[in-house]
Amino acid sequence: MKAEVKYTDAELIEAISDDTDLNGAIRFIYRQHAEATSSFIRHYGGSEQDADDIFQEAVVAFIDVVKKGKFRMESNVRTFLASIAKNIWFNELKKRDRAGHRNKQFEMGRPQNEPDVAEHINDLERKKQLRDLVDGLGESCRKILLLFYYENMTMKEILYHLPYENEQVVRNKKYKCLQQLTGLIKNNPAIARQMQEIIK
Amino acid sequence: MMIDHLDENLRGKATASLEDIIGNDPEAKTEWHYLHLAVDAVKDAGLYEEVAAVRAAWKEELKITAGAAASRTTTLRSISASAGSEGVKTSGTRVRTLYRYTLRAAACVLILAGSASIYKYLSVSSGSLYDRYYSGYALNTSRGADQTNAMVEAYNAKDWTTVEKIGDTARVSRTNQTDFLSGMACLEKKKYDKAINHFEQIIAVNNHNGTGYYQDEAEFYLAISWLAHQKINEAMPILEKIRADKNHKYHDAVEKMSFFDLRLAQYKENK
Repeated sequence: MKAEVKYTDAELIEAISDDTDLNGAIRFIYRQHAEATSSFIRHYGGSEQDADDIFQEAVVAFIDVVKKGKFRMESNVRTFLASIAKNIWFNELKKRDRAGHRNKQFEMGRPQNEPDVAEHINDLERKKQLRDLVDGLGESCRKILLLFYYENMTMKEILYHLPYENEQVVRNKKYKCLQQLTGLIKNNPAIARQMQEIIK
Repeated sequence: MMIDHLDENLRGKATASLEDIIGNDPEAKTEWHYLHLAVDAVKDAGLYEEVAAVRAAWKEELKITAGAAASRTTTLRSISASAGSEGVKTSGTRVRTLYRYTLRAAACVLILAGSASIYKYLSVSSGSLYDRYYSGYALNTSRGADQTNAMVEAYNAKDWTTVEKIGDTARVSRTNQTDFLSGMACLEKKKYDKAINHFEQIIAVNNHNGTGYYQDEAEFYLAISWLAHQKINEAMPILEKIRADKNHKYHDAVEKMSFFDLRLAQYKENK
């Protein structure tokens, strides 16, 4: 985490959108924005662990928004991240059944000109359920799918990282793993219900 | 076939006919949506994992920074405390005289030792200490060799470019071993910033997971990397920690280092 590249907001958005240096961009986000956002969460009753977890969720949501081309630069990155984090924390407090008291505090601390990020964090719960399903796949399946779909590696490159004999074996394994994950998703009632609504 | 289409492996007519099926057959359409959802879930899990790794490294960095600041504060306190006690001694004339003689004696000793000290002062630096204390790492191939075979082979062949390249191609498939080998390759190629990132990553991951895989190696070579990078202030807390820990794998190696030289280099860098 040393000797970091510095980004302007526009450069940061570009680095994330183009995936030229996503890891560097994430490191920059942590260095520049984590402390301010985390202190807000702590101020509103969160523990240090809560603050870290919420900021992590906010960073993932922010990157997702940027990658989908939905970040419109109407607010700066710091404000946007803070706003996402606040909303996630607000929802978390609701879940913890302490909304009455905290809700008031939260509203008092929210500036009028803050961006509306509700649409961006709507499906965080569903994403978390899906992540749990990916984690439930088992290490070898999880890894092969991540290498192929997240790292965009070819079968040949995957051979560098996993102990398979040849590309065809990797291809077959990847196929089975994706089928397995699809099966897990279908068998999850909550997700399947949402899916049916989307398909309609 | 649908997965091939999803992975963009199909060409021409095959693509068109499959798209037709997906458009008209509700069952195929549902299957297609589920496949997309599965891939999106994988991508989201990958991103989450990558952010989690950066988070762990960032927390570790904060901890190291806080530790270094605390150590500097302690040093400053002890210096001002000793200065304060000397102030009390110098309150009387006799004590002042004695103090003057002591200073003169010390000055004589300093003059006698002058030439050697000047030479020492000029020759000691982080870089020279790195040259003196760096030695390569011989890999124990039994540790996870099956999963990173190509990398281990390249490392043993001292093919640093290949080791670095393999390390660069995976973000999520990183293990402490791949990070360590990548770090060592970067150190050999004098890419110190990158080496530091790799070693810090190992420490962060261990700290996050409560594991100790390659921990001692990462700590030692992180300190060495900081020396190579001419940032001895970053290296010193790590070396002192290793020296204080008799169970550390590199305790003996660090014990043999000249802390006088290290502090001298530190003084020069802080000047």
